[in-house]
Amino acid sequence: MKIATNESGLITQILTGEVWPPLSDRHSFRVGPDGQPFVLPGMGGVTLGVHCGDPATGYASDHLEPGASIRHRDPAANMALQFLTCVGNEVRVETGPAAGAAGHVIGQHAYVLTDFPEATAAQLTTGDQVTVTARGQGLALDDHGAIVVKNTDPGLLRAMPGGTRPDGRLEVHVAARVPAEAIGAGAGMVSEYANTDLMGAYAGLGEDLSLGLESLRVGDLVALEDSDHRYGRGYREGYITIGVISTGQCMLFGHGPGPSSLLSGPAEAFHLVDDRDANLASWYHHTEAQGAA
Amino acid sequence: MTSTGLASTVAASTGPSSTGEQPLRPVAVNLLGHVEHPVIDGGPYRVSADGKPYLPVGDGGIVLGLSLGDSAFVPCADHAASGACLVHPDPAARHALTAYSCIGNPVTVRTGHAAGATGAVIGKRGEDGRVITAFRPGDLARMRPGDQVAVRSCGQGHRPDGLPDGLTLLNADPGLLALLPSVTWPPAGGGPLAAGVRCAAPSKLSGNGLGRPSAAWCLDLSLAPPAHGGADVRLGDLVAVTDLDARFNMGFRRGWVTVGVVVHTDSPLPGHGPGITPILTGPASTLDVRSEPAGHTGLTAAALKLQ
Repeated sequence: MKIATNESGLITQILTGEVWPPLSDRHSFRVGPDGQPFVLPGMGGVTLGVHCGDPATGYASDHLEPGASIRHRDPAANMALQFLTCVGNEVRVETGPAAGAAGHVIGQHAYVLTDFPEATAAQLTTGDQVTVTARGQGLALDDHGAIVVKNTDPGLLRAMPGGTRPDGRLEVHVAARVPAEAIGAGAGMVSEYANTDLMGAYAGLGEDLSLGLESLRVGDLVALEDSDHRYGRGYREGYITIGVISTGQCMLFGHGPGPSSLLSGPAEAFHLVDDRDANLASWYHHTEAQGAA
Repeated sequence: MTSTGLASTVAASTGPSSTGEQPLRPVAVNLLGHVEHPVIDGGPYRVSADGKPYLPVGDGGIVLGLSLGDSAFVPCADHAASGACLVHPDPAARHALTAYSCIGNPVTVRTGHAAGATGAVIGKRGEDGRVITAFRPGDLARMRPGDQVAVRSCGQGHRPDGLPDGLTLLNADPGLLALLPSVTWPPAGGGPLAAGVRCAAPSKLSGNGLGRPSAAWCLDLSLAPPAHGGADVRLGDLVAVTDLDARFNMGFRRGWVTVGVVVHTDSPLPGHGPGITPILTGPASTLDVRSEPAGHTGLTAAALKLQ
């Protein structure tokens, strides 16, 4: 993205975490849109076989978190890890058979979600220690004062197509536009933690549940209509939030593939370009992430 | 085992019977709540939707000077519920207290200066769980955080005769519908249930509460205040949300409608606003919702005999 920012003034913090297990309780089952009970994997641990560019839905899964799901063992340190880590940050494995391998953050979901090459992910498991190079919070755009940047590694911003247009608006490429009706769990939460679940993408379920979002892919850049994520996540007519789909398939009702928040501001400050290739996999594969970090 | 109250409760909470089945009898379970003390996590400030820091006032505990029928848009208040919020020190018991308590359930103060006073459940709130209770003003003024309050919970799983097929009643004492002047109960002639509401909001105005269980969490709505053209929503009002299914978790379903009771005031936080505890949800064909921007009467202290 051709754009002037305060990147040269940003600082970097080195954080640690570990691959955190999936969590359940003795009742196991949760409830789907039609009251169907389910037990489905996908959240926590290391979820294999799904990466940026792959379909977000169509799996026997709930709250699918691609790759490794990372937390810090200390609750307060964990909140720092969740808030300070940005999409695009490098994550290095410190222990276990994959020690030395690197991946990159694709979003937050009460876990830091990290995509690794499949061969690396296959060697990871719960308890493996990682180092996160946290950089990006505080990033601001010199010429777009109405747009707030969140959770974005400056390297990711540079890799994205678009930028400042002659008319002063910010050109952003998006793979999908999301109506406000799709906003589900995550509304009302701060925009530096977890993500915004999108309803209307329950593959294989009723037409009355569909908002046409069944073709989203992991890593897609999307535009959330009438959403203001500058100071938390809420409905505001005429605002747009740009997010990256960091989680996939859900069966839990009111939940679904979720974007982590990247840019938010009034709609007139943006020039959106519909681009099916607007996906992290197009510009920011893990090998590029290592180069850019 | 089947003769115990617990087993009966489990049977009654398995949800509405399908068409033609013998209705399950509701079971009452006595619960204990503790009047909440407000909590503020860390620094005193929250950040509003416009990016301004503010100190949250009225978010939990005992709130005086606010009653059923008062405006849901109160300057300087955040999620303020009228009356006393009940919690429980054990997290699992707190969730059960919230999930089983129903609007209209009778409550009795057990300890403290107001011991013996009676009131009623008028709503619930989510995440960690809170039950909102109303008392006569003189009784509420004598209460303090930590007072113990017994809740005679009853209503979850109850499906009264006459409820239209496909419509679900939840979070409601078996006597609640008869207390609401804007609801025609019982409905005439097997048609949809007629419910007057202060306003009907589109589902896209829903915020916190989406994707959360309707038995234990309220749904915040980004409603415009009257000064900005919105309806004059008041605590205790019925408000409808279109295209929303609230049988289990709350979420978008085209062609459905949910009606809830307004239980707390507006909030400066983005994605928050006046909250409703859902009581009726079903396909739009089962619920005849009529907007009454003026002259609507919802749940009142008079109907609960708390004046």
